[in-house]
Amino acid sequence: MGGSVASVARRGQVMEVDFALVGHQDSWRAAADVLAVLRGPERTPLPDDEIKDILPWIPPRAVCHVEAGSIAGVKARGLYIDSFIPPDRLEAAYMHENIARVRGAAAYAIKAGAKIVSLGGFSSILIEGNFDQLPERHDTAFTTGNTLTVGFIVQGIKKMCALEGRNIRRSTLLIVGATGDVGSGCARCLAPIMKRVLLSARNVERLRRLAAELQADGVQVEIATDVQRFSAEADVVICAASLASPSLLLGRIAPDAIVCDAGYPKNLSPSAEMPGARVFFGGLGQITGGLRFAPDFHGILNRHPFPDVVHGCLLEGMALALEGRFEPFSQGRGYITQERVEKIETIAARHGIYLAPLYNANGPVEEGLYCQRECSRG
Amino acid sequence: MQPVISLNSAIECTSLSPSAAIWQDILAQAMTGELIAAMNYTSLAEICDDPGEVADALEHAEGERGHAAAFAAEGRKIGVDVPNNVGGKHWKRLREAFMCCITARDFIGCLIVQEIMLESFAVASYARVGKVAPGSLGRTFASIAAEEEDHVDHAMAILRKERALDPQRFDDKVYGLHLEVMTTLAKMLAKECKDGHCEVCHGSCVKPSLFEVSLSTAELRGVSLQQYLKTLDVLGIPGEVTLTWVAQLPV
Ligand SMILES: NC(=O)C1=CN([C@@H]2O[C@H](COP(=O)(O)OP(=O)(O)OC[C@H]3O[C@@H](n4cnc5c(N)ncnc54)[C@H](OP(=O)(O)O)[C@@H]3O)[C@@H](O)[C@H]2O)C=CC1
Ligand SMILES: [Fe+2]
Ligand SMILES: [Fe+2]
Repeated sequence: MGGSVASVARRGQVMEVDFALVGHQDSWRAAADVLAVLRGPERTPLPDDEIKDILPWIPPRAVCHVEAGSIAGVKARGLYIDSFIPPDRLEAAYMHENIARVRGAAAYAIKAGAKIVSLGGFSSILIEGNFDQLPERHDTAFTTGNTLTVGFIVQGIKKMCALEGRNIRRSTLLIVGATGDVGSGCARCLAPIMKRVLLSARNVERLRRLAAELQADGVQVEIATDVQRFSAEADVVICAASLASPSLLLGRIAPDAIVCDAGYPKNLSPSAEMPGARVFFGGLGQITGGLRFAPDFHGILNRHPFPDVVHGCLLEGMALALEGRFEPFSQGRGYITQERVEKIETIAARHGIYLAPLYNANGPVEEGLYCQRECSRG
Repeated sequence: MQPVISLNSAIECTSLSPSAAIWQDILAQAMTGELIAAMNYTSLAEICDDPGEVADALEHAEGERGHAAAFAAEGRKIGVDVPNNVGGKHWKRLREAFMCCITARDFIGCLIVQEIMLESFAVASYARVGKVAPGSLGRTFASIAAEEEDHVDHAMAILRKERALDPQRFDDKVYGLHLEVMTTLAKMLAKECKDGHCEVCHGSCVKPSLFEVSLSTAELRGVSLQQYLKTLDVLGIPGEVTLTWVAQLPV
């Protein structure tokens, strides 16, 4: 089967493209690994300085073919398209250049005949509000994939609370990047079942608007632009800010707080000291009906300690393709509701796409917990 | 094909401008490339059957000779003689790759080498140089870049038609030529000359000095590869295939 995807790729013939996944690498290490696969094992890998000199010039294009399988028996074929945004140029200063790259990747997907396109990581952030700048697209729908991302973040929080024996209804939730598409979606889903909700972002006007929306549903909400003001009070934290690099310091944080880092790139600074915090990476799902890349980019394009784990944003496009629903399921900022999340989760689950096992920088979270418990019992 | 300036003319930089010696080497590379292009089109005319194609090729050869002369004239304006060496290590190999297609009377192969590979390099790097070079030097590079782009369009139409007949065969052929021609161009554009002097620069290699005129080899290689990939995209060769080709080039 992997063979047949590969042969299609090799023959370079026109094939049906059900979905396209638009992405970019979040570190130079990841970019180097992608180029190493392309160079092949018989050539020496490119030195780091050459990678930094070459990658920014590569026009957006497909890197590999992807085949997604469903537990319902159907398959969908697609392309992974990289916009080749240099990992250290995600800052606002490069916005125009990066919008052009994402537009190029979108144009590539349209030209390839993709029926649905998922905009991964910063792609959706850059193109949101600029959809009119995309080339004319007759039969190509675009989705940010943020609804399924929110679904997996929320599922992860609930699972972690259950694993830790926390009562979510008595917990205080802090969302960093609360007014974003992902952050506000999480707020809408979780606020009704939390004791208290703290919202943080830089723009206070947008924070006020979101707070008013949630308060109208009878939720206790507070806002702050300075996240450190809040962090000690939160039992559960979702980090969903569009940070160009892992630079978030939560400051003093409640011991044993559950922290979900859903950023791409990650939000939390590696130097963030959070003794006792239960950190996990959120927004990730696992496709159990099979995932194949040609050439073989397993573990390179999806760098996770479990097989077939993919970011929710990209999985949303695959789920919609497997379902044969080529529609802009997630588009625009601030429209993600509990109802929409349930709808996409149902579609995803029908095809065997579920929440991925939880993990963090130190490895799997659940095994760690299991071990901790077993060891203390022993 | 007569070189505009004899191959081993003694080169003396007489200009007072401190960057003149750098421009001299840049012009020498450009001029050598133009002379190679002129020679290639002249050879192409010899294998064309169609009188229209013959006339086209000869016209292109004339145009490229004009470009070479324009570069020589720009050198004189800044007080330097612009040398050229079509027998220089890399250029010689590029010419030989083209001549293999001529020997095989392979018109399509010739277009691929000259119009897709060599011209991608010329168009992109001239445009880049055009942005930073002062005064008429900059304008000349920019206008020649634009002219090169124009004649690429004509070849593209022929090549797209050819690819439509048998895409796989066409792509394999491009790949075969890529291995020879683009590998040589990649070595020329490498940050360091790993296998000795290029035999075009008048003293030591100009590459380490390029920053003095706001250029760099990394940038010239970057724009050239970008232009090449975009040209291959227009031909319809799948992007994931051409990405692998480029990723495998030497650095
Ligand atoms: N895990 C996954 O599968 C997925 C992860 N993501 C990631 O989630 C994150 C959010 O995406 P999305 O919601 O679409 O982005 P948006 O642009 O919609 O929202 C970004 C949010 O972050 C806030 N923010 C930006 N900079 C800062 C800062 N320096 N400090 C505090 N808050 C900040 C913004 O508010 P303000 O400007 O007012 O500060 C806004 O609330 C990104 O990292 C994205 O890559 C996205 C999709 C899938
Ligand atoms: Fe020319
Ligand atoms: Fe040199």
